[in-house]
Amino acid sequence: MSGTAVTAPARVAQARARPRHSAWVRRRDRRGLAFVMPFLVAFTLFMIVPLAYAICESLFNSRIIGGTVFTGLSNYTQILSSGMFWSGVVRVIIFGAIQIPVMLIIAFFFATAFDLGVAKYGRTFRTIFFIPFAVPVVVSALMWGFLFEPVYGPFSHLANLFGFHNTDFLSSSLVLPSIIVIAIWEWTGYNSLILYTALRSVPREIVEAAILDDTPLWKIILKIKLPMVRPAIVMLIFLNTIGALQLFVEPLILNNYSAGVITLNWTPVLYIFNTSINSAQYNLGAAMAVVLGLTIVAISVTSLLFRRDRGGMA
Amino acid sequence: MTTSTLTAPDAPAEAAAPESRRERRRRERREDLDAAIPVELYGLKRGTVSLLTACCVLFAIFTLVPVAWIIFNSTKTQANIFGTFGFWFARPFEFFHNFRMLFENVDGDGTYITWFGNTALYALLGGGGATALAALAGYGFAMFRFRGSKVLFYIIIGSLLVPIGAITLPLYLVYAKAHLINSIWGMILPSLVSPVGVYLMRTYIRLSVPRELIDAARIDGAGETRIFFKIALPLMVPGLMTVLLLSVVGVWNNYFLPLIIFSDNNKFPLTVGMGLWSQHATTSGDQNLYPLIVMGGLVTITPLIILFLILQRYWRSGMLLGSIAN
Repeated sequence: MSGTAVTAPARVAQARARPRHSAWVRRRDRRGLAFVMPFLVAFTLFMIVPLAYAICESLFNSRIIGGTVFTGLSNYTQILSSGMFWSGVVRVIIFGAIQIPVMLIIAFFFATAFDLGVAKYGRTFRTIFFIPFAVPVVVSALMWGFLFEPVYGPFSHLANLFGFHNTDFLSSSLVLPSIIVIAIWEWTGYNSLILYTALRSVPREIVEAAILDDTPLWKIILKIKLPMVRPAIVMLIFLNTIGALQLFVEPLILNNYSAGVITLNWTPVLYIFNTSINSAQYNLGAAMAVVLGLTIVAISVTSLLFRRDRGGMA
Repeated sequence: MTTSTLTAPDAPAEAAAPESRRERRRRERREDLDAAIPVELYGLKRGTVSLLTACCVLFAIFTLVPVAWIIFNSTKTQANIFGTFGFWFARPFEFFHNFRMLFENVDGDGTYITWFGNTALYALLGGGGATALAALAGYGFAMFRFRGSKVLFYIIIGSLLVPIGAITLPLYLVYAKAHLINSIWGMILPSLVSPVGVYLMRTYIRLSVPRELIDAARIDGAGETRIFFKIALPLMVPGLMTVLLLSVVGVWNNYFLPLIIFSDNNKFPLTVGMGLWSQHATTSGDQNLYPLIVMGGLVTITPLIILFLILQRYWRSGMLLGSIAN
């Protein structure tokens, strides 16, 4: 709260009102800005400017004849009224609605087991489960693509052994479940680690008291531990939802193994990619990016309000 | 100055006495045991521990299946990758031949080793730079209160909500104007912006760099720059490592941005190059690209997994990752 632009009497009054803020402290605090500056410059150039530019572009339309024309919100009405964009949105919502709960349940199960110490070799397993986090998504999609490959892939051989002949894990009906499996593989360890940390911070005395009261273990887990790590769970749901809505790399790569299954508008980000980069409709693509961004912001804000609404657990 | 009295209770153990790796490992294990309530007290049925351990083994197998597959198949010819059992070796043993192919431009798309070098360069400059900027900004936000510092911090936190998928195309549009298409700076410069890094560093500095220590140094007449480098920075090391790890992984993983800004194959990072291979492997028939993709995948993930194993103690507690969630 340093007043560089205030007049001298005002500054005196300010100094009298808050004697702790001496000139020395103020001068020192202004130096804090110098520490923040390099980041702020990069942040402005590579975050704020592009976003503003994209919003600008989304209001125009380039035509072969007549050049670039201001068209107001027409790009937006075109997107919002087309089924192409929304079918992708619905697909990623279905994806998230299945993948996130399944993953979080598995992650919570293991986090609890490690936290209680009821599974042996917890440290080793924690390390193993975290390995997929180090694997680039492109590479994991490539690896799983080989495993799921319909003709030679080991998983279709396995399905064959169990009597499911000619199972094509990358066919249009099974590719979404396959991607769910890949996403669970990629992210369970990371989510589990965060839940584990949250569980560790539950005071030991509470659990000891519950044990002395002869509370059964499942009750300790579900009635004591689970509510106490709820803020972490809400945050993970939120982070994973943002991630799920941006599904892009896995379908793009899997399409190489089984061409044609993944349509141009399979997910919103794929549609943005195909519209702008492959069909050079940049203005429309920019409008889609804005719509996607706003959708995600809306979801985030809702979840934050919801979180605040339900008591100050955090 | 008695540092010991000033050290915050949360300060990292590294600040205390130097200890050997073995000692540290032993201490961590002991702390793990101390923190846990003895399993016998839960009143579990016999066999529960074995059952749960078995669950862990199953999930560990699930986790390791693709890794095992890629290791076995990196030793095979293209015919054997598809023709033999995926989870065992097959003759001929072609590991070294496949590895050598990574140094050659096999199909005219580019050379793996070039892409590897590019990725390392982007990750080093982008990830290292992001960590440096985050450390400076985190320190600025944690230790100073200047005009607008709160608002700025909230704007930065708010930008966490902006999805990568929505920022990448706008970046491309700006690059087209600023002649950054096909420039390595187009890849490196946006990687420098890590709002999560700033947030994590601020949190970490608040916990582990005591204000009194900084003030004492000021009274002794040290300049702000000197204080940052000589006093604050050494205390920030564990936080820095976590942020570095996250940003390096972030750049190493980045696919969308390099995919749209590079058309020159010699500037590709690994992700884009391997994506291109997998596209061509299916469309252009028998070019023996599959052994390359498998070997390339193995060589891509090995350094990262080793990095994670070496830096285990920085992420294993999940301290900093978890603070995102609080």
